[in-house]
Amino acid sequence: MGTTAATACLMDTFSSATIESCLSERVRPISELDDIDALARTYRARLLRFATYSTGDPDLAETIAQDVLLRAYNGRESFRGECSVNTWLTGIAIHVIRDHQRSNRYKFWKRVKSAAIDVQDVAAFIPADGSSPERQLLAKEKVKHLTQILETLSHNQRTVFLMRFSEDMAASDISKVLGMSESTVRTHLHRALKAVRSQLGASV
Amino acid sequence: MTTELSNHLTEEALNDALIGLGSAESETHLAACAACRAKVEEFRSDMKVFNDTTLAWSEARPVTGLQGAARPKAHLPVFAPVGWALAAVVLLMICVSVWNHGQRSASHEGFTSVAAPEDSETQIAQDNELLRQVDVALNTGEASPIDEYQLVDRQHPRLKVRKGLRNR
Repeated sequence: MGTTAATACLMDTFSSATIESCLSERVRPISELDDIDALARTYRARLLRFATYSTGDPDLAETIAQDVLLRAYNGRESFRGECSVNTWLTGIAIHVIRDHQRSNRYKFWKRVKSAAIDVQDVAAFIPADGSSPERQLLAKEKVKHLTQILETLSHNQRTVFLMRFSEDMAASDISKVLGMSESTVRTHLHRALKAVRSQLGASV
Repeated sequence: MTTELSNHLTEEALNDALIGLGSAESETHLAACAACRAKVEEFRSDMKVFNDTTLAWSEARPVTGLQGAARPKAHLPVFAPVGWALAAVVLLMICVSVWNHGQRSASHEGFTSVAAPEDSETQIAQDNELLRQVDVALNTGEASPIDEYQLVDRQHPRLKVRKGLRNR
């Protein structure tokens, strides 16, 4: 199976023609996708984090994460195992977020949005790794500042940054999922990284 | 691009290395240069703290509605009896109201029939007799002023003229 077919399958998960194509070319038996509870237990938190920081709205992110899991479960036959499940789910999340951005519902949410990311709330979840209180405080400030910096990035920059540095996706996978050329992805990554590093460095 | 005047990686080369697109030359430099490696490690450390913290925050968020959305029919047995019970109560109230209304209408019709029974021959005869007695009682009272002053056969002259005019 060629790269083009793999990209088409990842990008257009819900097209019946694509699903049939994927089914005929499937090379790996699916297992964890058959149990929606297991799927949610394993991937919901990551999806929720990605959607939260991509949209800036935790309440909307809950809906998106749920929608992604349901779509993945319902369209699990289209997964061929050529990428990780997390990458596949992130690709679906990208589509769902785009759908929300285009729909009136999202405009409504934007108008009445009151549930921005509570940086204090997030920073309270710093893992207790036995470090000193000073280091814990410094880490908390870093998380708060990074959250605020991400909000200043453009949507594309923020998305590719999160996909690369939070979801640990390769630039080639990001380009496939987003339907961008790899050079465009690199440009967004460079700009995002420059902004984040310069602002993080300025805060220290 | 690996080295500049200061013999350290440029920011662009550092970013390339962080993105995972660094050249072999950059990787060699990073392995040898503690200062450049510290910059890379610092960013990775910051991102690790951010990722661990935000993931812990996400895991702490309550799961809402996934089961219901995934298996909508699973909730039907729970809510269906309540819905049916409410529908039955409403239907019962409507039936009781309609029945009450029917009962009231029936009693009203019964009252009307008692108040206005159908006229029978006997009743008509009794009524006529009563009316005749009333008429007699009225006629046997005081004499009419017309009779008393014998005005029955006298007519006004004008009336004669008018009568003549009419007959013409």
